[in-house]
Amino acid sequence: MAAEKGIALVLRTTDYSETSRIATLWTREYGKIRVLAKGARRLKSSFENALDLLTLCSIVFLRKSSGGLDLLTEAQVVQRFSRLRTHLPALYGAYYLAELLADWTEDYDPHPMLFDQALTTLQELGPPVSPEGDATPVLVMRFEMQVLSELGYRPVLEGCASCGDPLAPGEVRRHFSVAAGGVICANCQGSVRDRQPLALETVQWLQTLAEPGDHWRHVASHVALEGRRVLGQYVTYLLGRRPRLLSYLERGS
Amino acid sequence: MSGTEPLGAIDRLIQELNRLPGIGPKTAERLAHHLLAASRVQVMALAEALRAIKDNIRRCQQCCNLTEGELCAICRDPRRDPALLCVVEQPRDVTALERSHTYRGLYHVLHGRLAPLENVGPEQLTIPQLLQRVQKGGVREIIMATNPTLEGDGTALYLSSLLAQSGVTLTRLARGLPSGSVLEFANNQMLADALEGRRAF
Repeated sequence: MAAEKGIALVLRTTDYSETSRIATLWTREYGKIRVLAKGARRLKSSFENALDLLTLCSIVFLRKSSGGLDLLTEAQVVQRFSRLRTHLPALYGAYYLAELLADWTEDYDPHPMLFDQALTTLQELGPPVSPEGDATPVLVMRFEMQVLSELGYRPVLEGCASCGDPLAPGEVRRHFSVAAGGVICANCQGSVRDRQPLALETVQWLQTLAEPGDHWRHVASHVALEGRRVLGQYVTYLLGRRPRLLSYLERGS
Repeated sequence: MSGTEPLGAIDRLIQELNRLPGIGPKTAERLAHHLLAASRVQVMALAEALRAIKDNIRRCQQCCNLTEGELCAICRDPRRDPALLCVVEQPRDVTALERSHTYRGLYHVLHGRLAPLENVGPEQLTIPQLLQRVQKGGVREIIMATNPTLEGDGTALYLSSLLAQSGVTLTRLARGLPSGSVLEFANNQMLADALEGRRAF
């Protein structure tokens, strides 16, 4: 049984026995793995207290062929995102990131690009640094859109999600359907029951969230609020349950 | 043993022991046979001790630590400084801090930490009782002694946001190098914490 090495983000930990711990790690190389870390609860262990939530660490683990928990043999802290510990909305945003990754990705299904995007988001989350206000809600929505895009659920915003036709230009309001997976045209509105109105400027801003560049950073608060509502409903529909952290995010925004 | 037959006394004991943390089926079986072989006095003493913790142990009305009376021994002690409050996650943290013999204030036990990913929100903790204690007055300083994990720090951050307007001094435990260790073997985080938390001689 050869030892595997990788870089991992701690998504979840559970105490197991007096001294051991079970952890869900999201690695760049192997995707999500679940490991048993024997002795991790001891102050002096080969894990150096690296198994704290949302800590980036370099790991060595033994992969179990039988389908049980892998065995973590070493973990060393690479980075702790200490700014999360000083701003409550940023902390909730980071918890939400962990919830999405833990509940939505499969074991041994790597997404290196999403891994890098998660780290970029965690590095940026923290107390407001500009007079424009707290960037947490926007950073979280940007990451949500990156998760949706990477997993193949990016909402259709350019044309009708139901029939595929281009949308009529000039309308101030569009309609969005979580079941259809995007905005819908005027012709399809009658056949889609869960449609809800969405301002054109919100649709345009949601498009920028999925694109490279920094246009998404500049957003009016009412647009960000509407975007939060729609994305929350869409993620809830796809997951089949409301994410636990959504209420915390909505309270903070 | 078929699935429909009621469990016998030994099987029932094994099943109950097996529910305890860290006790697997084999250990449960070994413990059950140990109890069978033990004297009646010894087994009844264990049964009485188990009954007593459920009948007699309750939360202290002031600090929410576990006690057999209305107030715990620490809250009843007149030599303690009531203006100093140390907030901890669990009753066992009180025991750990008491072992240091350096703290002479009172405690407040939260009975958990804020962990939204595990569905533990503020309503599951003893936060309202803490706020009531502060509102009553007489508290000068609150020491946040939650665990130095992300969730522990998050809990302290949440409490500090609630208590920001109370006028009480909020502090938290120092972190960094353990006494008696050497710099060479300290990890990066310990060194960073120690440098950030340095203080004047």
